[in-house]
Amino acid sequence: MALIQSILNILTILIAFSKLSLCLYEDQIGKFDWKQSYIGKVKFASFDSVKRIIVATEENVIAAINIKSGQILWRHVLEDQPGNTVELLDVDKEVVTVTGGENTFYVRGWELNNGVLLWEWCLHTEATNAKWGIYKDKLIHIVPVLNSHLEVTEYEVHTGQNRGASSQISTPWVIDLSKCVLAETYWSCISGEDSTGILYYLNVVSNGNEASKIYKKNIDLLIGNVPGKVGILPFKYTEPSLLLTRNNVGRLVTLNEDNIDVLENSFPLNSITIVNGDQRLVLGLTLKDQNLVIKTTEIGIGENVVEAEYSENLGNPEPIVGICRGTACRLLILTSDNVLCLLQLPNGKMLWKREESLSNIVGIEFVELPVSELDASIEREFQTNSNDILSMLYNRVVTQMKQLTTFLSGKQITSNKLVRDEFGLHKLILAVTKVGKLFAIDTLTGDIIWSKILDGIAPFTMIKNEIILIYEQRNARYPPLTAEYVLIGRESATSKGMLYRFDPISGSSKYGIEKLPYEIKQVMLVPYEDENRLKSLLILSKDDTVHVYPNSADIIIKESLASLYLYTVNTEASKLNGYSFIARENEVKPVSTWKISFGQAEIVAVSARPSIERVHSQGRVLADRSVLYKYVNPNLIALATLSEDPLHKHVLSVYLVDGITGLVIHSANHKRAKGPVHLVHSENWVVYSYFSERFRRVEIASIELYEGVRQSNSTAFSSHALSQLPQVETLACILPATPLVMVATLTERGITNKHLLIALSNGAVNELPWIVLEPRGPHILPGPDENSIPYMPELPLVSEATINYNQSLARIKGISVSAARLESTTLVFVHGLDLFYTRVTPSKTFDMLKEDFDHWLIVMVLVGLIVSSYITKQLASRKALKQAWK
Amino acid sequence: MAKVLSIIVLINLLFLKANASQIEYDGYINIRLEHSLDGSDIYTDRGNITIQSLRSGVYTLQQKPLSIEDRNKLRVLAADNKFYQLKATVISNEDHEEEFKSYVKACMLAESEMTDQLSISLDYTGRIITVSMGVASTSTCEGALVPIDYLKQFVTSVHIRHSATGPTPDTASYIEKLEREREAKERGEVKDNRPFLAKYWMYIVPVVIIMLVTTATNPEGGNAGGGSGGGGH
Repeated sequence: MALIQSILNILTILIAFSKLSLCLYEDQIGKFDWKQSYIGKVKFASFDSVKRIIVATEENVIAAINIKSGQILWRHVLEDQPGNTVELLDVDKEVVTVTGGENTFYVRGWELNNGVLLWEWCLHTEATNAKWGIYKDKLIHIVPVLNSHLEVTEYEVHTGQNRGASSQISTPWVIDLSKCVLAETYWSCISGEDSTGILYYLNVVSNGNEASKIYKKNIDLLIGNVPGKVGILPFKYTEPSLLLTRNNVGRLVTLNEDNIDVLENSFPLNSITIVNGDQRLVLGLTLKDQNLVIKTTEIGIGENVVEAEYSENLGNPEPIVGICRGTACRLLILTSDNVLCLLQLPNGKMLWKREESLSNIVGIEFVELPVSELDASIEREFQTNSNDILSMLYNRVVTQMKQLTTFLSGKQITSNKLVRDEFGLHKLILAVTKVGKLFAIDTLTGDIIWSKILDGIAPFTMIKNEIILIYEQRNARYPPLTAEYVLIGRESATSKGMLYRFDPISGSSKYGIEKLPYEIKQVMLVPYEDENRLKSLLILSKDDTVHVYPNSADIIIKESLASLYLYTVNTEASKLNGYSFIARENEVKPVSTWKISFGQAEIVAVSARPSIERVHSQGRVLADRSVLYKYVNPNLIALATLSEDPLHKHVLSVYLVDGITGLVIHSANHKRAKGPVHLVHSENWVVYSYFSERFRRVEIASIELYEGVRQSNSTAFSSHALSQLPQVETLACILPATPLVMVATLTERGITNKHLLIALSNGAVNELPWIVLEPRGPHILPGPDENSIPYMPELPLVSEATINYNQSLARIKGISVSAARLESTTLVFVHGLDLFYTRVTPSKTFDMLKEDFDHWLIVMVLVGLIVSSYITKQLASRKALKQAWK
Repeated sequence: MAKVLSIIVLINLLFLKANASQIEYDGYINIRLEHSLDGSDIYTDRGNITIQSLRSGVYTLQQKPLSIEDRNKLRVLAADNKFYQLKATVISNEDHEEEFKSYVKACMLAESEMTDQLSISLDYTGRIITVSMGVASTSTCEGALVPIDYLKQFVTSVHIRHSATGPTPDTASYIEKLEREREAKERGEVKDNRPFLAKYWMYIVPVVIIMLVTTATNPEGGNAGGGSGGGGH
């Protein structure tokens, strides 16, 4: 017995540690995974040569993009948002950037070719409304004080030496900053709303010691006296200049001391200048009937208008910067849906485009693909509504004839490739971005299958996160019915609800964008299907009325009202509310059933179990062969609150609440602990991470719930029947890293071990076995027994467990997981500034042969063994015969 | 008739020993209980809980027996598989009132002969975050007719549930353990605790292999060996 015990011990140790090493072979790089890098919405851009475009974006990123391919040549992700922005980008012999916020700015110089940092200095200064400019190796920093003066400071660009200290220029006419621009070194403002106003300007760079002179010009003398509101826009030109705008056209005004010049031509407001030798071209873009109209004005010569085709899937274009060599021109444009694309002029052909809105994803859903047409027709063969023999026979003959004709005509080969594979590894990722663009991304290649702009949609805000919901109303398992998904957001202008119901495979929508006449408080996907296999939505609006979508599902909802419950999380009032529903006067009414009020504490994290998660083993076998049953409550909500405390600074409380009855199953508090809190809830456990102010480190704690040795309701779980509160076991460890996102893996049947995927601030996504965090309660014997690992207070974060190996991911915002049909595999999609997709196998690929598995070898070995056994049998019988004769 | 018929004074022993000392502020709290016996929004008086001390969990519970009328209502409610709703109004020392609703299946309450549990959950400061009612049971019901005698008097147990202190990383005992191991090593007392097989597997495995090989090449010997082994027993 002792021998068996010791063999078991060795095996468990070996298995436990082999699970920790989850590395990848070098030739497997890019085999199951792909990575896409983004830069965000472009704020400044500049062509440095005919090879590169240098861009600075609103995500505080500086990058160089290859003109030919649109690929990123180099990229620098600067200080984290929010508050930090790029204020200035200047490309000359080197790239100069000013970035920062909140009174601290960094001035940096970058090498053009490889993006190496050349120099850097830091500046602490007043930030509000400041404008920056570069003039002859001098960095000019202008802080306007309204109705009073400008504070102008000049710095040596490379060193930050402040030459002339700051000077104050009296400018009582600076009243409204939206009516002021900086044209190179000229600070210009207009006063008044219409043509009767005055244009003031002054050169902030003083020549010698004389004070800057302020010039005043009457606007009606410059651009005439036509009714309409007059505005001012900055404009880049060969000389210091600006655009005076009226009635959606701009007039170019060039400034040179007292000489002010107005060009005859009028331009669209989004115009840009391209200098090509002696030619000075001004380009403007407009959209007309889905065609792009490019109006080119050559200053002093004439106009030229070109129309080009424009994709439906792009928003309104705006030119940013252009370059010309001879007659060939390149124009970089940014669309309202954050697509960056390069146009070839004069023919208007699009050379490449970058979907930069994907750097800010607010909603993710994995979509299972439909079966192939052939499989679908086979299924249809056996799927008839009538039991009549003749009709069944007819049905079979018809479908088999169809199959035969498609087989003979060879149509099957040309049908689309979006077909379900055997193991469910090929799926579509639906991603909706903050600007309201919906994408379907192929998991195998990372290609965008289709995209759709949803005009005027905005995300909901839920505990500081912005989300747009996507629900699966019908999956692709019911041909000929197509899959149907619904996207729920709010209208950006009115905050009222917006729905978009669509087929995720083709991207088509029968209904278009539907606007709801109310604001949404909570949405629930009702788990009952109608005759078309469609699940309906139950929407609770802000005024506590229940709406059913689609309306036809009213009957199903009314039938199942007794088993429908809903909860809402009110982060403003720190309250949790529970609702049940009753049908009264032909209407469904919500009834408030329970409430939890956290008072002053702020709700910082809420987590419910994924609805599709299955728990395979209901219990845990103990050393004495008894079973400890898990407390698996599908209605359990885990949430964390933070409160400020005079004594303990911050107190973190974690509550486990039953979502049906509102009973607090367990609550725990951590004193002197603050956020960010990341909460994961899966099976019968909860894991959360927080920052301990006492020890100044990140800690990760786990709670596990057990029912005990007897299972109370073994057939179906009911929140109403609670015989006793579950046993709670807890554990805490130190996490030697800063987590950004935490998610638990999800598999089809829940047999596979659970791992936690933790995205760290250094750009790695680490896989951590749950067994390391599992509370070592009295039911687990200490020592190398019963599949447990000895407790270590500091978690080992091994670099082999980094699922994105050496491909660091910038600013990870979320991780989505989905189960493949293969039990061992979880599909993982990490999004942030970069997108990364891979598969993880928490218990290794126990149900899969390795791809380098040698099928021929095993066949030959088997054949060899069979043959040799026959031969030896013959030999043995001959030998036996001989011996018998002896 | 409207007299207080039963006053129960209980000391919740469980919480006295477990979490009692954790809350910093002690206080006196009064909870008014009202219930709805017809599934509507009209609540009638059920009783009163007075918690003298949150820390020690001493409370007084007053509940009247149900009138005949109310018993009938509850019986109908149970038969219709509707919810029995409870409204608890918490009145703290500063005359601050807060309402907490809660509900149970009426048939479960009736079947348990009105044995219910009130759990009053507190946050770490001792503020009541919710009052919820439950019936201890291992299964639910879908409506039930119960004898009216069952529905006489609430048998209520009150649980004041404090917030537990969360776990902290146990570095001290781990360092102690490492220290002990180091000391043991220094004193040369390192005793090999590994089991027999773990210690000597490198000797055992070759022996086993040699034995296997010899038995395989010499079937007669193997047979003989097996036979003698059997004889030994």
